[in-house]
Amino acid sequence: MSMPTLKLRAPLNRRIDMSPFIPELIADKSADEIARIPVWLGNRQVDTGELFEISGNPSEVLLIQSESDKLDMIGAAMKQGSILVEGNAGAYLGCAMAGGEIRVTGDTGTAAGCAMRAGDLAVEGNAGDFLGGALTGERQGMRGGRISVQGDSGDRAGDLMRRGTILIGGNTGDYCASRMVAGTIIAIGQCGRHTGTAMRRGTLITSNKPASLPATFNSNGIHSLSFLTLLRQQVATLAGFSGLTEMGVEVERWVGDLSCDGKGEILIWQS
Amino acid sequence: MLIKLAGATVYDPANNIDGEIRDIYIRDDKIVATPQTGETIHQTYALDGKIVMAGAIDLHTHIGGGKVNIARTMLPEDQRGSARARTELTRSGGGHAAPSTLSAGYRYAEMGYTSCFEPAILPVNARQAHMEMADTPMLDTGGYAMLGNDDLLLQLIAEGAEQQTINDYVGWILKATQCIGIKVVNPGGISAFKFNQRALDVDDLHSHYQISPRDIVRKLSRALNELSVPHPLHVHASNLGVPGNYRSTLATMDAAEGFPIHLTHIQFHSYGTEGDRHFSSAAADIAEAVNSRTNISIDVGQVMFGQTVTVSGDVMAQHANHRHAHPNKWTCMDIECDAGCGVVPFRYRDKNFVNALQWAIGLELFLMVDDPWRIFLTTDHPNGAPFTSYPHLIRLLMERSFRNDLLSQINPDAAAASHLQSLDREYSLYEIAIMTRAAPARILGMTDRGQLGPGAMADITVYHPGGDPEQMFERPMLVFKAGQPIVEEGRISQPVAGKTQVIRPEFDEDIEKRIKPWFDRYQTTAMENFIISDDEMAEGIGSPINIHPCRQSS
Repeated sequence: MSMPTLKLRAPLNRRIDMSPFIPELIADKSADEIARIPVWLGNRQVDTGELFEISGNPSEVLLIQSESDKLDMIGAAMKQGSILVEGNAGAYLGCAMAGGEIRVTGDTGTAAGCAMRAGDLAVEGNAGDFLGGALTGERQGMRGGRISVQGDSGDRAGDLMRRGTILIGGNTGDYCASRMVAGTIIAIGQCGRHTGTAMRRGTLITSNKPASLPATFNSNGIHSLSFLTLLRQQVATLAGFSGLTEMGVEVERWVGDLSCDGKGEILIWQS
Repeated sequence: MLIKLAGATVYDPANNIDGEIRDIYIRDDKIVATPQTGETIHQTYALDGKIVMAGAIDLHTHIGGGKVNIARTMLPEDQRGSARARTELTRSGGGHAAPSTLSAGYRYAEMGYTSCFEPAILPVNARQAHMEMADTPMLDTGGYAMLGNDDLLLQLIAEGAEQQTINDYVGWILKATQCIGIKVVNPGGISAFKFNQRALDVDDLHSHYQISPRDIVRKLSRALNELSVPHPLHVHASNLGVPGNYRSTLATMDAAEGFPIHLTHIQFHSYGTEGDRHFSSAAADIAEAVNSRTNISIDVGQVMFGQTVTVSGDVMAQHANHRHAHPNKWTCMDIECDAGCGVVPFRYRDKNFVNALQWAIGLELFLMVDDPWRIFLTTDHPNGAPFTSYPHLIRLLMERSFRNDLLSQINPDAAAASHLQSLDREYSLYEIAIMTRAAPARILGMTDRGQLGPGAMADITVYHPGGDPEQMFERPMLVFKAGQPIVEEGRISQPVAGKTQVIRPEFDEDIEKRIKPWFDRYQTTAMENFIISDDEMAEGIGSPINIHPCRQSS
């Protein structure tokens, strides 16, 4: 294979910070040069070559092969190029990414796509908590771009989300769309409890009524919303989401959360 | 162990040494007179052409206590944005505006500072504050206990208690909280805020206690004088940041009725109401008042442009300013009826009229107050700017051309409204040594530091001359703490821990008969648990105390 490839040599007992390996930083580096990049392993620094087998030639596409869930910050702050993860990713996948694309064939840990600004993040397996959420202590989460997860997501998907789109093919945990400021979440499976808590604005579209909604949400009746035709056309092209073409335009619209702005909406497909 | 620092140019204002070439001898942790010939000198540093001063002292910097910790937690981006990696010798830390304890200690030492004082310790928070300062490496620390908004003192004054009772209470607080001075923040105003007053000028009455800030300043400044505490009452005056507040500042000076008082971050209290925008510099009035009243000392609280965070006990002022929070998050809270706390992140902008004029007012004060023994170099870290900007500030004071270059870049209306262009004064190294070493040691009553005479602690900073003053003060060649080299070429070479500097005036222990029932009735802590013992300082908190003598009664 000609693209630069990092293959994890052995299971890790410490977490490592993968943020140095983004296309713009390593696109012009040879395998030898990449092997000498220092990475944090717990609280000490080691050469990349000690942890990974490195092969391939300089390119804008990077391949990471790992079954570990301890590879944090993959693609953090990347602006261009693409990263393919064969296997699993750790926490903070695509954290604050501003462009380019990341695809993960397995699962990803907590806070994938947090503080994301632009780009495309695709996960073929499951995602952890705080998908598209905020960096700790910040007031806004994902601010643009698109995240798609073919499997399930953990709790608090879209927490503090400000803009962009999150697609979840499976079920979501509790507090989906909590504290959401704006943006769109499509959660095809079953949403958990307390969905939409402290949602200010934004849209959550789902196929089933969530396990529970706060008392500060009210049903706004059944509507036919033709924008759903446009939306499903656009996202049904994504791998794993072709089933959306079957969905209609008739939804029950719930509005809340009245404990804050109360301009958020949860649309439940009527099939 | 005898160490010789040979041939350096020494600036030691406490001993009237202005740039003379001298040898300095260190035996163990003290500076000693020239030893007798024949005595073995274990180590000699050849310092020809280098500049030597005592270790610098910051008498007003918020490095510990509840509000700093709130700022740290409120601003994780500040920690993330300036991470400090661990080395073989030092631990990791972070933060620019609200640095972690470790970062603050290391950076201060790297700039040649050896003693720092936290100016706003709420008595009920004293334990936490001392713990944070014990965790701040490299530095000797100390604090000023905040009184003047605590219900007990206000109650005592309202009841017309004898001055002696106030004195005993103040003496008891100094001992119980292990502090070296007393500070009052917006006298009575923090308490009045809780009674829904949103302003309290020097002669306004607190709606509940029916006493004025003037009463509080008079009682407390007199108490400290009668207790022979060297550091005068440390006053954060009324109406901080309000245009026209220079009148309150002058009234506060008068309220001391001739007793010594120290007016802190006076830049924030030197505003007039002239001009189209009803915001102007009153630095000239304030400087004139300071020059003519020898009982007054001040520190400036210089503003520097950039991101910082304002932390203050002055809930009234912080609540008024919360709309300017940048980033947009803030908090104001009561703390156990002792006082309050407000944290508002802020970015000073050089193109903003008000911020640019604040910058100019601070510099005007530095240049118009004549006596460097009564004006101290501070940014009220982190309220005006983080302490890391001190070298830049020193260059502004020492180089008129540099100052005027920057003046030409700020908001032009603010530049035009300021006298700064016409002020020719340039500080000398001797004057910088006064305001950052000799004078703070003197006003805190610490005879063992801020000077290089025999008997003093061997806290010494050696600078490379040449380059501009900013480069010189940013990166000293060598720093000694208690005789040990701790910083070499601007890098920590030996991590050390400091001690807590305290004062112990005499007072009547019977005051506890008045204090204990008040604790039992109103406080969440028992009086016995509130008191921090000397043993706890040494063993539990990990910063043993060093007691400084009270002023000899004259």
